[in-house]
Amino acid sequence: MGHRTRTPAASGVSEQLLLAVAEQMKLPFLQVARLAEAGQLRNTTETLQDIQTTADAALRLLDNYLFGARLSLEGQYALELEPVSVSSVLYDTGHELDKLAKLYGVDLELSFAGKFGPVMANRQGLQSALISLGYTLIEALPSLQSKDLRLQLAAHRCRYGIVAGLYTDVEQLTADALRAGRRLHGNSRQPLATLTHSSGAGVFVADAILHAMDSELTPTRHHKLFGLGTVLKPNPQIQLI
Amino acid sequence: MRILLVEPDAQLAKTYARVLHDDGHEIVAAKTAQSAIHAADAHQPQLVLLEMQLVSHSGIEFLYEFRSYDDWQNIPVIILSIVPPGEFSGNRELLEQALGVVGYYYKPHTTLADLRKLVTKVTIGT
Repeated sequence: MGHRTRTPAASGVSEQLLLAVAEQMKLPFLQVARLAEAGQLRNTTETLQDIQTTADAALRLLDNYLFGARLSLEGQYALELEPVSVSSVLYDTGHELDKLAKLYGVDLELSFAGKFGPVMANRQGLQSALISLGYTLIEALPSLQSKDLRLQLAAHRCRYGIVAGLYTDVEQLTADALRAGRRLHGNSRQPLATLTHSSGAGVFVADAILHAMDSELTPTRHHKLFGLGTVLKPNPQIQLI
Repeated sequence: MRILLVEPDAQLAKTYARVLHDDGHEIVAAKTAQSAIHAADAHQPQLVLLEMQLVSHSGIEFLYEFRSYDDWQNIPVIILSIVPPGEFSGNRELLEQALGVVGYYYKPHTTLADLRKLVTKVTIGT
């Protein structure tokens, strides 16, 4: 990890992030509490599977949030970049999000437009960012105007490198929505009001992690789908070969 | 009783709907303010359970739209929200008198048993 100077602004960012995460974590706790109560009231064990999936997803999410929040809190650290296979990160991200997606009735798909060499990223950072983002989108999709409740984990080439991200048919995933969200982050309990009913913490955690990789979350398109993703630079050594 | 449940979270909506359905209520679920207006038009609910924090349009916006129709002036609305009631304390009069909210309940502190009691109370009162 390299060193960076912590500024008062960075401290403010971490506090905002922690507030968003705390707000976000109310939801899985609430779901688990009500599912457990419903199981007792209805004298059935059919909610047990949902409780387990919800709690497991929340625990994994918390790890990713902690990763992002720690980076933001410690301020002086930057994530070390290494050659990373984008396809492999997207595959593992899909695996992590699969059960949660099923719980919300969302179809998760992988889509790679071509073959890619390694990119310069931090593997854990990239995966945590995509999982955090995925969680927010999965949870949000049923309440958006999505026709087919489908979320694509995808990568394609662009002028500046490889874009890896998550895509849906929801038109609200725009640059304006993201810009407004970043502006309201820390001042509103629902900064991404056109995208999600929650605090959208996953989006801001992804943003914080990607910043530590000298990258950022950006609105992007994949075929006809709308999405959020990040541009990753190809590994220069592989390019020379 | 026919209940319009305006709940953006798919998981919570399913749980609330199951329990209220078990009590003999007919549940019409909507995830957004816009779909809730359509659902109200199609199903003529006798009670509305409303989350304030919705996508695109807030619960308040829904309430203004809902109350603008003559047919829906007297339908009781219970707010069951992730937003603590304290944040609306300055607007209590507006919610209760102008928008006909019969109760504001904080979701994390309101169990399913509490919700069933609330709905039963409204059912008896109507």
